[in-house]
Amino acid sequence: MPEWLLNVLFLLMNGLIWGLIIALIALGLSLIFGVMGIVNMAHGDFYMVGAVLAFYLFPLLGNFWLALLVVPLIIAVIAAPIERFVLRPYEGHHAVTMIATVGISFILQQAALATYGGIPKKMPDPWEVTFNLFGVSYPGYRFLIAGISVVILAAIWIFLYRTSYGVLIRASIQDQDMAAAMGIDVNKVLVGTFVLGSVLAATGGVLAAPITQVFYLMGNDVALLAFIVVIIGGLGSLGGTLVAALSLCSLEGVLSAVLNPTQSKAAIFVVMIIILMIRPRGLFGEPEH
Amino acid sequence: MERKGMVARFALTSLVVLAILGVVLPSGARSLVVQIMIFSIFAMGYDICLGYTNQCSLGHSMFFGAGAYGAILSVMSFKLGLIPALGVALLVGFLFSFLLGLICVRLSEAYFVIVTAIISAVFHLLAMDMTWLTGGDDGLSATIPPISRSISQLSLYNPYVNYYFVFFFLLVSYLVLKRMIGAPLGRIFISIRENPRRAHFLGYNVTRYKLVAFVLSGVFGALSGALYAMTLRYASADYFSFYWSVLPIVWCLIGGTGTLAGCWIGVALMSLFQYYVSAWFTHYLLLFGILILIILKVSRRGMLGYLVGRGTR
Amino acid sequence: MTENGNLLEVAGVSMHFGGLTAVDEVSYKIGAGEVRGIIGPNGAGKTTLFNVITGEFKPSSGKIYLKGEDITGLAPHRICQKGMSRTFQLTYVFPEMTVYQCVWVGVYSKARRAGTLFFARADRLKEVADKTMELCRLVGLEDKRDELASNLSYGDQKVLEIAMALSTDPVLLLLDEPTQGVGPKEADSIVQLIELLSRRMSILLIEHNIDIILRVCHNLTVLSNGRVIADGSCEEIGRNEEVQRIYLGEITCS
Repeated sequence: MPEWLLNVLFLLMNGLIWGLIIALIALGLSLIFGVMGIVNMAHGDFYMVGAVLAFYLFPLLGNFWLALLVVPLIIAVIAAPIERFVLRPYEGHHAVTMIATVGISFILQQAALATYGGIPKKMPDPWEVTFNLFGVSYPGYRFLIAGISVVILAAIWIFLYRTSYGVLIRASIQDQDMAAAMGIDVNKVLVGTFVLGSVLAATGGVLAAPITQVFYLMGNDVALLAFIVVIIGGLGSLGGTLVAALSLCSLEGVLSAVLNPTQSKAAIFVVMIIILMIRPRGLFGEPEH
Repeated sequence: MERKGMVARFALTSLVVLAILGVVLPSGARSLVVQIMIFSIFAMGYDICLGYTNQCSLGHSMFFGAGAYGAILSVMSFKLGLIPALGVALLVGFLFSFLLGLICVRLSEAYFVIVTAIISAVFHLLAMDMTWLTGGDDGLSATIPPISRSISQLSLYNPYVNYYFVFFFLLVSYLVLKRMIGAPLGRIFISIRENPRRAHFLGYNVTRYKLVAFVLSGVFGALSGALYAMTLRYASADYFSFYWSVLPIVWCLIGGTGTLAGCWIGVALMSLFQYYVSAWFTHYLLLFGILILIILKVSRRGMLGYLVGRGTR
Repeated sequence: MTENGNLLEVAGVSMHFGGLTAVDEVSYKIGAGEVRGIIGPNGAGKTTLFNVITGEFKPSSGKIYLKGEDITGLAPHRICQKGMSRTFQLTYVFPEMTVYQCVWVGVYSKARRAGTLFFARADRLKEVADKTMELCRLVGLEDKRDELASNLSYGDQKVLEIAMALSTDPVLLLLDEPTQGVGPKEADSIVQLIELLSRRMSILLIEHNIDIILRVCHNLTVLSNGRVIADGSCEEIGRNEEVQRIYLGEITCS
């Protein structure tokens, strides 16, 4: 197989795997918007917190799987009071809530800077197996990420479409007032959704930590990508988010053969603009609140 | 009508005070006040977007940076005089805001917020990357020409000249914007803010007017960026960062959205906060984040807006 | 019933939302100087029909003509400029503007002069100011002209609604339940206003109160489940058995 093709194939694979992680993060973002109507500017920073926690917990617990279980619990403990005491008071005033999340974003970033420090650090590989693909040695951990991500995405799908609690969440996406009128405890749905969304972002951070540099500003780039994905897929559309995440990250992966990271992002951005001009609500966007 | 008078009186008083402060203040305080004046122009322009037409843009750092670089590059690379450089900056600001407005203005509320944020983030990345043009993070320093080539003493290197040069633009910006708000345009803006659908059914092309508001705010943002670059004789890719998109919102929230000059209070408070706090606390942005949450708690429409009450314009 | 020179013609208009058909092949005409009532049970599609005619939705099929011109699918602001104006079922004003300013906005929309947009002093435009005051007087709100719209009583807001609809100088006025929720005295003054207006323009009126309908309307179109089930003068409708069945015999022509 010619080398350039091999190169592109591996970039594509990396892109798809990265796309799965982004899908998790963007899904969380889309859920938070769909159910709560909030544009969460701190979402990327929950991803960063997840990665930072993984960085500390992995050597502490000695076991990556344990970290994967413990981090969501820690995030839930952080996110729930944030929703209850910072965001809920402004419920219904979306612009104000969004600015509150900006405040939270600064706080999270600076807290990380103060504790973790300003130097990007690399985490050791949790699974040091490599596979031999077409004569190239490919890190097995990346397949692990892919596998775990797929499992989580499937679990979310089952949760949202096959359980009664999931039905509650989807009902709240459709019409919050109606959901409340039908006796659904909207407050529980709100805090549950925010926690779920933030946990998804943080889990993405845990999974991504070994393959990128853990850095207190790492949330910014990822948030940007997640927002682009959510816009292209359509706010509130979970299937659209998945499709957009996988396609965009694969595209970015392939482009990175010829363009530098900034230029690839710019290219993705142009794609977004084009799609927006044709369909102002994204590809699968539903009418919003 | 009395409440509207209150903001106008505040503005006029501030302008008189500022005119006097220029000769009275010591040099450190004077530079701070120059910055406050520059940012007040930015804030007023942003209030047109947020306070008068309800468009919560997270992308105004774009215009600030574009104006700064428009001015600095004109001076450095095209060897233009100071006034033409400002003209270029305004033109660049106009073009940027017009083109981006065409894309964004017709988007619904949440999409507008996100897309403006995305656009300015991408421009930030590009500015950091294209170091050949922008100098990246390190930025560009320039020697700037005097205001008029024939009168070389009238140069911004003279701190008094710098102060009153900026003051002049604050005064003109305020008068121009105040006139526009008092004109039919202002009333149309407010009707769009209050009930866009109703305004639409009264015969107004709402998208077009929102675009006008967006472009106005972009042009004044660019003017502000240009004045900032000329005052510091320096521009960096950092001017495109998200921080400069968030600041205008905070300014307007503190001072009162939809009051035009209320935001000057927000600018003053935040500038003082930044000046003093960042000196002793490296993680000043942490306090900034907490401050945002506190401000939101106090009042959603800002302190001055709260005092003025729901007033007529 | 006026046949010639139709001011508004609605021809076979249908509106489908996904699987729901809100408006089904509706046709009727309005002539100059006519007051036509649109009546029917709740959910019959009356307000949706208004939304379609005024351009908020593009009809799934059918055409709409105003003064002979095809306005199907035009944007709401264009249709307003062409002379059709409407009120809304829930009062839909500009909460933080005064009564005067609310009316002013509409008047300026119609009466604007080139060059005044950016720098003219809004309150010094004489023509606009006069017309605004005239309208405030017409609807009886001139004493409250400096009140914030959000501070008005419900009944006054309803009247302000009408004044705002009038401000763009329409030839066809669409009123969506103008007396809903107001007391009998206020309802009466609104009806008197409608009678006054009917001499100057054609009116399309959605109303539930049969007395009011009989007082002001020349002709009626009866909708049920999005379809026209009867169309004619008040007397004809009064005799229509199907309509009687729907209204349980409430329509009586004295």
